[in-house]
Amino acid sequence: MSQGSTREKLLEVKALRVDFKVKGGYFTAVKGVSFDVYKGETFGLVGESGSGKTTIGRAIVRINDASAGEILFKGRKINGKISKELDREVVQKIQMIFQDPMASLNERAKVDYIVSEGLYSIGRARDEAGRLEAVQKALLDVGLLPEFASRFPHEFSGGQRQRIGIARSLIMRPELVVADEPISALDVSIRAQVLNLLSELQRERGLTYLFIAHDLSVVRFITDRIAVIHLGEIVELALTEELFAHPLHPYTKALLSAIPVPDPIAERRKCIQVYDPACHDYATEGPSWREVSSGHFVLANSAEEKGYRAELGL
Amino acid sequence: MDEASVIVKAEAAAAASRGIDPSLFAFADFDREAGERIGYSNYSYWRSTLRVFFRSRLSVLLLVSLGLLLLFTFVQPLIPGQKSPTVIYNDPATGTQYRNVAPGAQFWFGTNSIGQDLWSRIWSGTRTSLLIGFLVGIVEMLVGILYGALWGYVRRLDRPLTEVYNVLNNIPTTIILMLLAYILKPSFRTMVIAMCATGWIGLARFIRNQIVIIRDREYNLASRCLGTSTGRIIGKNLLPYLVSVIMLQTALSIPGTIGWEVFLTYIGLGLPVSIPSLGNLVNEGRRIMMSPELRYQLIFPTLVLSFITISLYVLGNAFSDASDPRNHV
Amino acid sequence: MSAGDCPAALASRAILSVRDLVVKFNLRGRVLTAIRGASLELAEGETLAIVGESGSGKSVFTKSFIGMEDQNGWIDSGSIGFEGEDLAKFRREEDWLRIRGRKISMVFQDPMTALNPLRSVGRQIAEVIELHQGLPPGMAERSAIELLARVGIPDPETRHRQYPHEFSGGMRQRVVIAIAMACKPRILICDEPTTALDVTIQAQILGLIKALQKDFGFTTVYITHDLGVVANVADRVAVMYAGKIVECGTAEEVFYDPRHPYTWALLSSLPQLGIKGRPLYSISGTPPNLFNEVVGDAFAPRNPQALKIDFVHEPPAFEVSPTHWAATWLLDPRSPPVEPPAAIKAMRAKYERSLS
Repeated sequence: MSQGSTREKLLEVKALRVDFKVKGGYFTAVKGVSFDVYKGETFGLVGESGSGKTTIGRAIVRINDASAGEILFKGRKINGKISKELDREVVQKIQMIFQDPMASLNERAKVDYIVSEGLYSIGRARDEAGRLEAVQKALLDVGLLPEFASRFPHEFSGGQRQRIGIARSLIMRPELVVADEPISALDVSIRAQVLNLLSELQRERGLTYLFIAHDLSVVRFITDRIAVIHLGEIVELALTEELFAHPLHPYTKALLSAIPVPDPIAERRKCIQVYDPACHDYATEGPSWREVSSGHFVLANSAEEKGYRAELGL
Repeated sequence: MDEASVIVKAEAAAAASRGIDPSLFAFADFDREAGERIGYSNYSYWRSTLRVFFRSRLSVLLLVSLGLLLLFTFVQPLIPGQKSPTVIYNDPATGTQYRNVAPGAQFWFGTNSIGQDLWSRIWSGTRTSLLIGFLVGIVEMLVGILYGALWGYVRRLDRPLTEVYNVLNNIPTTIILMLLAYILKPSFRTMVIAMCATGWIGLARFIRNQIVIIRDREYNLASRCLGTSTGRIIGKNLLPYLVSVIMLQTALSIPGTIGWEVFLTYIGLGLPVSIPSLGNLVNEGRRIMMSPELRYQLIFPTLVLSFITISLYVLGNAFSDASDPRNHV
Repeated sequence: MSAGDCPAALASRAILSVRDLVVKFNLRGRVLTAIRGASLELAEGETLAIVGESGSGKSVFTKSFIGMEDQNGWIDSGSIGFEGEDLAKFRREEDWLRIRGRKISMVFQDPMTALNPLRSVGRQIAEVIELHQGLPPGMAERSAIELLARVGIPDPETRHRQYPHEFSGGMRQRVVIAIAMACKPRILICDEPTTALDVTIQAQILGLIKALQKDFGFTTVYITHDLGVVANVADRVAVMYAGKIVECGTAEEVFYDPRHPYTWALLSSLPQLGIKGRPLYSISGTPPNLFNEVVGDAFAPRNPQALKIDFVHEPPAFEVSPTHWAATWLLDPRSPPVEPPAAIKAMRAKYERSLS
């Protein structure tokens, strides 16, 4: 973005590569991805299954190891070997919200423990009264009743469970929250609750979100900038409304055209574009990461870049 | 279109609404919390486990009988007029030993070939064997869980622990037991040490496999994100999910241990003859199995042994089923 | 069918008619009423979408058409009329075998549940064809390959020998659809058929089902929570909440002129209709616990504009148009006027603009 250089970069991901060991070799899930997340913004990472979006999120919270590249938080490298103090700080400052509220809560622990689990590792659970108070406050903050603390997770509906998951991240007072498809497993009527809650918390606490999703319509509502990722590579990155108004990369166009719209007439008229990777002519010149207009990046070669500029009328 | 049903419904609507107090057609107060409270089921894991367990009459019956049996082995020596399990009784009339006296009023279960009271020997032996069984079962469980949990969860330890397992597992248990029994003098302690040394291996492997299955579930990733220590993840996230299988394995290991004790005694490496145990008793009975009139010496200990084995097996399975949340329907 | 069709003509073409169906379950010794008297008429050749949240009973409802309630569930009362028989009276498995798969087929969310991982896909389809059409194995294999080609599996000549795990999620769902087609059913029930798939694949599968419906002439019932999918496929929409159908009408009626507060809430809570930077319309709370008896309107506790009567009497179905009804007291003339949420009014205005 144009004012990007003046804004504080909270998170920088530089040429991140993640490999997984598979039978007889390695599978590269993320192929050299770079992007920055500014303080206070909501950055969307959108792609289909197998695009590597979840792997990127998990590399940032250090569940997956980076095979190459760097992840910087407030300018300090957090991947690979880091000091104990930095580790503790990163655990506290970067939190994750998981996709499936049915799978992401420990069924055998009470809500009380689940919500305060993080406090134990940052040494804030020693004072029992303080811990209980923090739990009650965290539950109230996400719109749950304090009396829920003594119950087990399975008594709650999907939306309530997801809010328990949010409470458990918030109690750490994080600065960056990696939200991995936080609403896709929820019922339609519950999604709005959770989206509103996330926006409200962002306003109140100045949180920064890395919002990972496959559903562009949700991402449009909540994000400031979007990166579209396809098979481990970011193909396009722009301000949200810019991306919806002027999608350039054929994959982005295909993805946008397939969004289901809750409007029968629009749905019946809609024309779906199919992305064929063979449409790129990369025989003579391979693609590279190019800024086509201010803050609007596309993976393209120079011929394509020219075409994209023409599309934008530049 | 289901207009047929709609007409019916429209009539019903008119009929239904006729007798209604018109003042009800006003806005109600809205309580935001009420919407959250809906859907409370008051479920507790352990309560449901116990409820399912006690629903089976057979389990309750076996549990009570086993409890009484265990209690009786401790109470029996305290009952007045009971004979000692180790004293050799002589017939005061002839001065000779009461050899192979058939069950009767004086010796309820008869005597053995040297004139010891079988009734008190059986209870003393049951006490010894159950003690060995429970001791070994508990040690096996503790060691097996610790080893298996570290093996399954801590990736760095996977290689070394697998190697240790391979070495131990490739030597037949019988050989290890025999070696230990030779090195150490036959005694109660030797027996327990020997069986603890080998018994945990199977359980450790079993727990390792279970943990590998659940360790990458999302709730464990969430705990890692929260910086939860490995020990806490094992204790709070992993083992509670394995309660049902661990209980089953432990319950089965107790009769297994008693079985090994019988086997070791059979090959002559068990407890010294001076300590009655089910192994010793079965072994004594086996020697005279061929004379039909002396078979009672084998039958009585075998009956007790079978009862213990079968009821622990059934109870272990019943508890394992009961503690599986899928059965809490 | 479209909104303009004459209702009388449609009634004569009804293929399935469900009346006041009540389905109960026994869970942990307590009885749960999953379906609390739902009625529905399905017209031949139409596409009906049943919309609801998890726990609304939409899956249970349609599973009762093919006798696939879980072990601990049963039809307590009501009827399911199909080809002159009452399916709700069926007790024996043999009865259901005449209907299930042959006349009414189902496609599930997870294709793996419907496929045998140990048999090649071609074999699985051919078996169904042998069983249902009585063709000899050789011919059945030929028509299995044709079916695979028809559902858009590339290179069916070689791929029919492959096993389910060799197919991607979208391709597996195509195979499941091919199996369903092999019996030439009269009704195809699609239970969240695209929820597990990527949006681009989802659009393809929906397109495929539409095309097959044109060719084979079956009637389709969609069960989904995704209103985008509903808008794409449905002629008619039934909205289900807490075991009851609360609103039913043509797709246009339900999307542009909904009347039930639950439908309002459902539609206006969609991020697609939200305005960025402002909170979305959201429904507080959670659906009711169906172990307890529901008094009045099940949605009332979550409805900020509920009337007193909603907590006392169950609302009957009020007719909005010959093809549209909703079960809410707001349609009673004595009720105070209640404005629909802004997003609903915006949808309506957009629709009216598009008409003029």
